[in-house]
Amino acid sequence: MVDQPLLRIKELRTHFHTERGRVTAVDGITLHVEEREILGVVGESGCGKSVTSQSILRLFDEKRTVKYEGEIHFKSKNLLKISNANMQKIRGNDIAMIFQDPLSSLNPVYTIGYQITESIMLHQKLQKKKAYEKAVEMLRLTGIPAPEKRVNDYPHELSGGMRQRAMIAMALACQPRLLIADEPTTALDVTIQAQILDLINRLNQELNMSVIFITHDLGVIAEICTRVVVMYLGQIVEEADVEKLFSNPLHPYTKGLMKSIPQIDGDRSQALHVIEGTVPSLHDVPNGCRFASRCPYASDLCRAKMPELKIVKTGQKVRCWHYEEILEKEEVDV
Amino acid sequence: MKIYVLKRVLSLVPILFIVSIMIFMIIHVTPGDPATVMLGDTATTEQVEALRNELGLNIPIYQQYINWITGILHGDLGYSFFMRQSVTMAIISHLGPTVSLAIMAQIMAIIIGIPVGIIAANRKGSLTDQSIMGLSLLGISIPSFLLALLLILLFGVKLQWLPVAGYKALSEGMWVHLKYLILPIIALGSMQVALIARMTRNSMLEVLNMDYIKTARSKGIKERNIVYKHALRNAFLPILTIVGQSFAVLVAGAAVVETVFNIPGIGQLIINSIERRDFAVIQGIVLFVALVYVLINLVVDLLYGVIDPRVRLNHK
Ligand SMILES: Nc1ncnc2c1ncn2[C@@H]1O[C@H](COP(=O)(O)OP(=O)(O)O)[C@@H](O)[C@H]1O
Ligand SMILES: [Mg+2]
Repeated sequence: MVDQPLLRIKELRTHFHTERGRVTAVDGITLHVEEREILGVVGESGCGKSVTSQSILRLFDEKRTVKYEGEIHFKSKNLLKISNANMQKIRGNDIAMIFQDPLSSLNPVYTIGYQITESIMLHQKLQKKKAYEKAVEMLRLTGIPAPEKRVNDYPHELSGGMRQRAMIAMALACQPRLLIADEPTTALDVTIQAQILDLINRLNQELNMSVIFITHDLGVIAEICTRVVVMYLGQIVEEADVEKLFSNPLHPYTKGLMKSIPQIDGDRSQALHVIEGTVPSLHDVPNGCRFASRCPYASDLCRAKMPELKIVKTGQKVRCWHYEEILEKEEVDV
Repeated sequence: MKIYVLKRVLSLVPILFIVSIMIFMIIHVTPGDPATVMLGDTATTEQVEALRNELGLNIPIYQQYINWITGILHGDLGYSFFMRQSVTMAIISHLGPTVSLAIMAQIMAIIIGIPVGIIAANRKGSLTDQSIMGLSLLGISIPSFLLALLLILLFGVKLQWLPVAGYKALSEGMWVHLKYLILPIIALGSMQVALIARMTRNSMLEVLNMDYIKTARSKGIKERNIVYKHALRNAFLPILTIVGQSFAVLVAGAAVVETVFNIPGIGQLIINSIERRDFAVIQGIVLFVALVYVLINLVVDLLYGVIDPRVRLNHK
């Protein structure tokens, strides 16, 4: 039998009720995460990466603001169909999450130990003393020095890197099958960033868990992921294995992102290429291709009609009318 | 933590010193001569002059202040010629009703205001929330004397459930004591209820938007524990500040409410003393109230340190 993917999202739509009317922040996302895989999700800020990831855990206020559509299959359950109580059993236990800013994501008035043991006691029904031993063990696993002391520290007493390690220890305390890391290194400086990436890579292998790694930085994707999904304005515009994506990007948006990766050994005097224009507002989403207004190759067709996400010869998926012509043209140019 | 406490306590000394000077100045520049008031219109200039000497009003003002403050440092708040007793005794004999009234009003404010604020925050935008907000706006804007009169009219005169005025000490039994105090407590405490409810709601709403609430939710924590463990403790600091400050409002309100309900408390004592130009008593009470106010805020400050570890750190 073929292995079922760990997580399978089908046509996920996340709508918010706002004061200015209904917006669809995630508009028909279909993706899957294999066992032990690190899937990268990349896109500029505002593209719906965080909304997608938080929709998986259903973290938004369903009574007042949010409406989900589609299917999210995890362990033979559709997460969008199960009760809130059952969802709570999955959160932190089967699927855990870490966020961008570890300082604001940790509760300032409780110790690290309290916050780690909280989910251990809740999901694994361990006694307080055992839970604290487990917390110390988790802190050690994430490479925090003197974990038996740090466990009694408050978040503000730790450095930024240590805080993110503590967040990771907290997320992994119950051995989740899937870790969603939402820009976990964006708020950290470069050396710490590399350490945290190493840590996630190591834990991914040691603990046999899958990871969804969200970032706006393709450079980071190259270091950690096996497969990548590129998002633009609530949709997937390209999906590919990481080597293919870097050797042969198809969507003009992906190409734009590639050019904006800072080259460490490259020419520093050259200005960083940034894609011109900004992501359109969710309140006036274009009818045609959503990237058309910023795309150098956009035609009337692009502006009128939205392309589908198509599988192409190379095994990649791309949402673009003209990717073939663009490829040919580039080959001629070279 | 010990150093933090010590620092806070020491910082009170200059504050109280400045307060004492201000009290003294304000009272002694207000027009109206106590000797004239005490003796009435028929007194002769000589009689007034003699009494002014006796009251110590003819020595230089700084000398008067020094005498007063030296007395206070020896535990002597002065002597009221009008009441023919020491100011300390006068305050103590009027303290009971006011303490009862203020504490119960504050308790009512806390046990109603905080839960109501939490409920409103949890159901932001709902009919419940809107009703709570509407009522609390009313509670804040209605003057306590008006509320007192309305309460008397309804429960005292019309329904005759409760006495219209007066006061019975606790020694006469809890129920009797309460029966006389219920209306004054409501009249005095309503505004605090409203203030605390609104503060709790705003503070909770702010905290519930924080990232760490999302973290808690992502860990599978139950919604109830998110509200009461993760959010409330963070939301508590501003609430505590309001509770501390509302004491000042309570004392001011007590003067009005005690007058309307004819309760022989500190509020009534100070109003009567102002009419009589009984400087010694006025000074004594104001200083006493200032001291209590400062002490309550000290307790609030210390509680900050207990609730929020970051406060402790800043004062290490
Ligand atoms: N709770 C919400 N209510 C309404 N709109 C939201 C909400 N959360 C996010 N959005 C909108 O959804 C879009 C995607 O946001 P997000 O997923 O945070 O982007 P990013 O890719 O940077 O993580 C943004 O336009 C944002 O304004
Ligand atoms: Mg984001």
